[in-house]
Amino acid sequence: MEFILEGFFQAIHLLITGNAETYSAITATIKVSSCSMGCSLIMGIPLGFCLGYFEFKGKKSIRTIVDTLMALPTVFIGLLVYAFLTHRGPFGDFGLLFTLPGIAIGQAILALPIVIGLSATAVESMDKKLRTTIMSMGANRRQLFLSSLWESRHGILAGAIAAYGRVMTEVGISMMVGGNIKWHTRTITTAIALETNKGQFGMGIALGIVLLTLALFVNISVSFLRRRF
Amino acid sequence: MNAPTYEISSLTHFYNDNPVLDIRHLEIADSSIVGLVGPNGSGKSTLLRLLGLIERPTRGKIRFNGRSAEPFSDETRFQITLLPQEPLLMKRSVFKNVSYGLKLRGKYENLGDRVGEALSLVGLSEEVFARRPWYALSGGEIQRVALAARLALKPEVLLLDEPTASVDAVSAQLIKEAALRARQEWGTTLVVASHDWQWLYEICDNMLHLFRGKIFGTGRENIVFGPWQELGKGKWGKKLSDNQEIRIPEPPDKDALAIIDVFSVKEDNLEKGPNHITLSGTISLLSLNKITGLVHATIIVGSHPFTVGLTDQQIQAQAIYPGKTIWVQYSIDDIKWI
Repeated sequence: MEFILEGFFQAIHLLITGNAETYSAITATIKVSSCSMGCSLIMGIPLGFCLGYFEFKGKKSIRTIVDTLMALPTVFIGLLVYAFLTHRGPFGDFGLLFTLPGIAIGQAILALPIVIGLSATAVESMDKKLRTTIMSMGANRRQLFLSSLWESRHGILAGAIAAYGRVMTEVGISMMVGGNIKWHTRTITTAIALETNKGQFGMGIALGIVLLTLALFVNISVSFLRRRF
Repeated sequence: MNAPTYEISSLTHFYNDNPVLDIRHLEIADSSIVGLVGPNGSGKSTLLRLLGLIERPTRGKIRFNGRSAEPFSDETRFQITLLPQEPLLMKRSVFKNVSYGLKLRGKYENLGDRVGEALSLVGLSEEVFARRPWYALSGGEIQRVALAARLALKPEVLLLDEPTASVDAVSAQLIKEAALRARQEWGTTLVVASHDWQWLYEICDNMLHLFRGKIFGTGRENIVFGPWQELGKGKWGKKLSDNQEIRIPEPPDKDALAIIDVFSVKEDNLEKGPNHITLSGTISLLSLNKITGLVHATIIVGSHPFTVGLTDQQIQAQAIYPGKTIWVQYSIDDIKWI
């Protein structure tokens, strides 16, 4: 019990004194998660909206595939991305293995089905009377589409938060594709795993606190946005 | 002569292969007020959705101001607006809800004044309500904000689907007044579906009775539903809750609908012609029909309402007033079937 308490105080010390190694992992995490979330939101929101909004042949099958991909294990994504990015793989020439963009690609693959699936659910659960309301006010097809998207914003935002939580806390992709290289591709989660293995609980707990603080910051921001819009 | 606002010909509409509307011909004149009456499921809301160009009819044409009208068409989408039965407010403030349609039309000038004017038409204060979010309103306020959003557009056609069905008396009165002002101030054509017959009688230039998707009268017909039963000795009819019998000729089928023409009301049942049936009932409602000038008396026989049009002289001569027990008379020979 004592070593946990010690670790907690060490965490505060590391954060206050601006420990370079700690801040390197924090920076790497923010970089890759921002990049992967940006990509998955840009692709996932329109795809999810279309999946929920339009009726077409094969919709149920696509929905089942997306729902299945939402539960993809991170180590499996790590393995696949590793296979594609390694020198022997099809994208080996790009030299992305053991880089932050490599991790971002893996995390985007992790987040994309979550954004698509939860956006589609948000759109499907929209009130069916919304279409009549928007059309009766004189909207054309484009305005109907954009207004419907805006009306489902809260559900889509919830999906984005869920995806962000998954991306921030994953270890498998960062470890396999990034290689956990100090000062370079070490993220918060891989650093926690390593430091714990080394018995360095202080560093591990410090990084855990940072992770929680980041999650809190994101949720407060989203909560503010929801109230504002 | 101007083309009618709406002209419908040979229109049929289906939901999942079930026919819901079948209208051979219908014209709605410019700046008129048309009432739609009929039981639930008769096709009133569907007709309003088609007139509002929310849906395309399965077959047939709707012409608007002499031109063929389609959903999303640039010629019509700014002229027609529909207030659905249970209107939905979008997830934004009252101000943004009311100004939404104006923004779609690119009318950004004096937006605040227009919104304020529309809100005041439905009896809502701009200062109190404009900034309120959509979730902080009562049912009646939602209905009034939704109507304000339509009135702000000064539409050429305003379609109202049961606008007062789920609101209190004060909200209902404000909604009724606001809808009428649209006609008075901007010459708006109003098509109103409602069960509030008294209101419709007061305001409408024309009434249409819809039943099972078909228009077949002016809304003043007495329709009696089956099932009919053989009462013995070749007589057919239906026993009412007070043990009286609605007698009919042999029906085409046991569930057929009978249109019964009540030709007189009397204080006694002494005089009876051949095949004349008299039934005792209580007058429950008197309302003036603006179109015919007759007073319509609704008489509850058993639990079934019969309506009969009476002149001023008849009202005075027989001292007709709500609550009075009276006899209604009809002829078996005049019964029509649907």
